[in-house]
Amino acid sequence: MIQSVHRAALILKELGSSRRLGVTELGERLGLAKATVFGLLRALEAEQLVERDDEAGKYRLGPAMLQLGNAFLDNHELRARSLLWAESLASRVEEAVRVGVLNGRRVLIVHHVFRPDNSLQILEVGASIPWHACALGKAMAAYLEAERRSELLDEDLARLTGKTVCDPAVLDRELDQVARRGVALEDQEAIVGEAEIAATVFNYAGVPVGAIGVAGPVERLLGDGPSPHLVAAVRETARSLSREMGAGRLSARAR
Amino acid sequence: MREQRSKGVAGTAEGDGEASLGAAFVIQWVNELASAVRDQRDYLTQLDAAIGDADHGINLDRGLRAAVAKLEGMEQEAPGIILEAVGTALTFTVGGAAGPLYGSGFRDLGRALGSKERFGPEDLLVALRSGLEAIQKLGAAAVGDKTIVDAFVPGLAAFERGLRAGAGWPAAATRARQAAEDGMRATVPLQARKGRASYLGPRSMGHQDPGATSTALLFSALERAAGGTDRAVGEPP
Repeated sequence: MIQSVHRAALILKELGSSRRLGVTELGERLGLAKATVFGLLRALEAEQLVERDDEAGKYRLGPAMLQLGNAFLDNHELRARSLLWAESLASRVEEAVRVGVLNGRRVLIVHHVFRPDNSLQILEVGASIPWHACALGKAMAAYLEAERRSELLDEDLARLTGKTVCDPAVLDRELDQVARRGVALEDQEAIVGEAEIAATVFNYAGVPVGAIGVAGPVERLLGDGPSPHLVAAVRETARSLSREMGAGRLSARAR
Repeated sequence: MREQRSKGVAGTAEGDGEASLGAAFVIQWVNELASAVRDQRDYLTQLDAAIGDADHGINLDRGLRAAVAKLEGMEQEAPGIILEAVGTALTFTVGGAAGPLYGSGFRDLGRALGSKERFGPEDLLVALRSGLEAIQKLGAAAVGDKTIVDAFVPGLAAFERGLRAGAGWPAAATRARQAAEDGMRATVPLQARKGRASYLGPRSMGHQDPGATSTALLFSALERAAGGTDRAVGEPP
């Protein structure tokens, strides 16, 4: 890799994970000389990828990043195809709907439709959730090939709440069950009080490319066991979306 | 005399100054909390709007109104039973994360006090610790994660230090409130590591945590209820 491009990418990531940083701070974090960091920042600033805070003279991400982020979302096939399906699922079940893809060991939320009740909600697009703590992640992991699944199970499984399942053997069994039932559940494993019901989206080759799910208060989603109405709606939506992604009827159901 | 006592063995004999707290005290505590949350409802909601679903104040207010309504006619019950009832009311009416967290906190706080009629500050310390444990069991949060725990842990620790220092029970409650408020303010620069706020990554920095704020109100309500008992622990009844 060209070193300066690599370093510039590291700078952008550092700025993305803290609010604003000075040249010295960046140099310390990345183990680079101040002059090197300054040169890179100047080049990034010229492209509006970073900008300088007038008051403190510190750097933060620039406006061009928003355009790039939006372009990523616009070019995302699953997201583009899920827009209408997610909207109609949300209005049908009157809960929030999220669409996610597996990105390493985390689920990246690429689309989020608010619960249609006019309440203030936080847009979760761009949120990144450990795969084992959400139904979206479990829906995808359940259909991965054995080797990839054990990779996911092997590494650190962080505890997000008291209910997060962190035991690989228990998770492995749960994934088998997800594959049998065609639906994944999450019971307050990422956020206390919140649950999710999700199903897998497959492509033409029958490979899981994402998942779509309903997220909301645990008492409404899983009150006396998973709401059959929600489970049916989620599975149906995931099947339709899979067909749009080119999946055949068989591969969309199960492999 | 303020004798140090091993935890969890409250005297129940009449006239024991160290077991001066009863049903009236816990009811007053809950009422103080309910009125503080009512006053601060919009502020709590505003804090939550920055990093959550903007419902913390509204939900907690609704839950505490339900709890207060439930307390009517419970004056003859044991304090532990009353606090358990508060926990149940909060669990079923608050919703979100705050409902289960405060609900199980109050429930275990009440359970720790058991069925005794009177208890002392040492028992309260043990009970508060049980409440915190219930919250941490559910949420798996530690200090620094930007949650309720950031105010609860220092508040509880200061309460214990106050009692150990022989400062007297209302003074210990004051120290607890101060420490809880310090903990609350210390959440401002933190990046949330638990709850929906954690999805915001660095955007959660620069905002005070609404859960830590309502926990500070819990301790300030305790302080007011302590003052309202009109006598320090150790004084004759």
